Amino acid sequence: MMRLLNILVIGALIVAASYVYKIKFDSTLQAERVAKLRSELRQEHNAIAVLRAEWAKLDTPARIQGLADRHLALRRIEPTQFDKLERLPERPAPGAPGSDSIGAMLAPAGSDTTGSTPQARAR
Amino acid sequence: MYGPAKAPESGWQRALRALLYGRDVDRNVKAKARLGLAVVGFAGIFLVIAFRLVLFATSGEGHNGRRSVSQDAVATARPDILDRNGEIIATDVKTPSLFAEPRKIIDVDEAVELLTAVLPDLDASEVRERLSSKRGFVWLKREITPSQQREIHRLGIPGVGFLTENKRVYPNGPTVSHEIGYVNIDNQGIAGIEKWLDGQGLAALHMAGLATDQLQRPVNLAVDLRVQYALREELAAAREKYKAKASAGVIADVNTGEIIAMVSEPDFDPNNPRIANDPDHLNRLTTGVYEMGSTFKALTLAMALDSGRISLSSSFDARMPLRYGKFEIHDFHAQRRVLTVPEIFTYSSNIGTARMALSLGVEYHKAFLKKLGQLDRLRTELPESAEPLVPKHWGELNTVTIAFGHGLSVAPLQAVMGISALVNGGKLIPPTFLRREQAEADRLAKRVIKPETAEKMRYLMRLNVEKGTATRANVMGYYVGGKTGTSEKVVGGRYSKTKVLTSFTAILPADKPRYLLLIMLDEPQGLPETHGFSTSGWNAVPVGAKVIERVAPLLDVPPRFDLPKADQLLLVSAKETR
Repeated sequence: MMRLLNILVIGALIVAASYVYKIKFDSTLQAERVAKLRSELRQEHNAIAVLRAEWAKLDTPARIQGLADRHLALRRIEPTQFDKLERLPERPAPGAPGSDSIGAMLAPAGSDTTGSTPQARAR
Repeated sequence: MYGPAKAPESGWQRALRALLYGRDVDRNVKAKARLGLAVVGFAGIFLVIAFRLVLFATSGEGHNGRRSVSQDAVATARPDILDRNGEIIATDVKTPSLFAEPRKIIDVDEAVELLTAVLPDLDASEVRERLSSKRGFVWLKREITPSQQREIHRLGIPGVGFLTENKRVYPNGPTVSHEIGYVNIDNQGIAGIEKWLDGQGLAALHMAGLATDQLQRPVNLAVDLRVQYALREELAAAREKYKAKASAGVIADVNTGEIIAMVSEPDFDPNNPRIANDPDHLNRLTTGVYEMGSTFKALTLAMALDSGRISLSSSFDARMPLRYGKFEIHDFHAQRRVLTVPEIFTYSSNIGTARMALSLGVEYHKAFLKKLGQLDRLRTELPESAEPLVPKHWGELNTVTIAFGHGLSVAPLQAVMGISALVNGGKLIPPTFLRREQAEADRLAKRVIKPETAEKMRYLMRLNVEKGTATRANVMGYYVGGKTGTSEKVVGGRYSKTKVLTSFTAILPADKPRYLLLIMLDEPQGLPETHGFSTSGWNAVPVGAKVIERVAPLLDVPPRFDLPKADQLLLVSAKETR
């Protein structure tokens, strides 16, 4: 009886020891992974900070204004160019398929060319 | 052992046993007790070991954590500064810095030679001196580039190493300079909001070496970067056009006290703040005090209307210059007749406002200005502030001149606060550079004039743009109200006729003000196109109009084309209050 108990206890001891060893080994691996991820996170954070600073530098109004002046033929917006959303006309009811409802609205204006800008119309 | 059969002991054996264990002791009983003691002892030891194991398992991270703190301790991180829309105004970027441990250096000459080859701007003799010292740690060069770091690393000099440090970067350059201030090489705030941040406990964190990136939440300022840029560009253009010594401008939210934009030209680049302390480059709006000129008439009129003793239909005699002792007060736009209160405002009559203030008395005048915060130093988040220059003995003559803005010098930001209170319904709200919600502003607000007086002030400001000194501010589509101011500067103890400070205070929209704009030009010159005039209406007002046209869409003020006449404004408000 005592001998069986002893054998059982020894067996349990070995199982427990190997299990603890496995847990310990796993936790070491996990801890290493955590440390690695942390340092990666730090690097990413730093990279993000650099990119954000660079973005802010590229995005600064002074630079955008300079680029716009150099490359675009835009003028400063005039107060008359604003309008309220409420004053936008209702969308026309859809006509028969194939017919151009927007074109029909424009036709009475009597122009044969269309375009959104004066230059386009002149062409 | 426990066997019952025991060999009989010899005599001397018994004697030895008696000597060792005592005479009548049962060894069996004793052995059991000892076994029990051993079990308890070992169980105790194992318990302690198990307990320690649990402790180690739960606090196993401690080691890693400590290492990262010591790495960041030198890198004094600062929180990002953002504008009201979340655009970056200041941020930290990690840069390597080169240091050396002189005690560990073997060959100083070789080290100096190799280092100066990679970093040509390093002073060889200085490096040699530092490396020959007996100190444990010396900086060689702060903020080197990653490629330089790689090259030095490849040289493999013993005793030389790198630390990552935080470098403060201001992507917008000089645009927001006076407001944010700048930092020194150790990332400590020297001026502006940066210094204020240090006062908020950041300096203590730095000292404790705990200012890591994780702790810091970005700071949201009230400034709008786009508006700030537009204002700065217009002011720089104006300074050049009118050949002024300086130009400055503020846009404030009259209902919350937030400063949406603040520019004082000339300014500096916070990335390279060498000229920041030059007196010419100081922030004129907070550190300068000026006689605000006719702008102060708005305060005098508000005082008069709020007293209840003077109404909009009251009139004052402006036929003759006001003689006071040996002084004589003239009008710039002299009408030589009896003027009503609105006329006094639109013609900017010195005589009229002086008489108005005199009729209310010196003490009343003084108390009113005190109530509006014009006599005490204005404190904001910015560490830089200036005490107003108040006359020591305030007599009737002082009241006469202060009524039209001479003889009392205030910081322009202070005047902005006062005039905001006149138009926002009568609430004095201390200005702030940080985001502020309406509820908080209402909590801080202090009622200084009646809401009806504020309505009348709005009317007067609008009237002044329609047919007064500020007609050039009548921007199409925007309901602007405003007051001009031209004050003569004191040169050698006398008021100069040629050196003037012009200002323009505008409210937008005039019927329900949301924003207040102040434009200031220091010593603008007359131009052929202004017919040689250098008064406010010819320079500060057109600049203000340009700024309004440009920033109103950004400030979400829609253009309107059904603008009522100023008189209607008064009728409508009268109906509402009834």
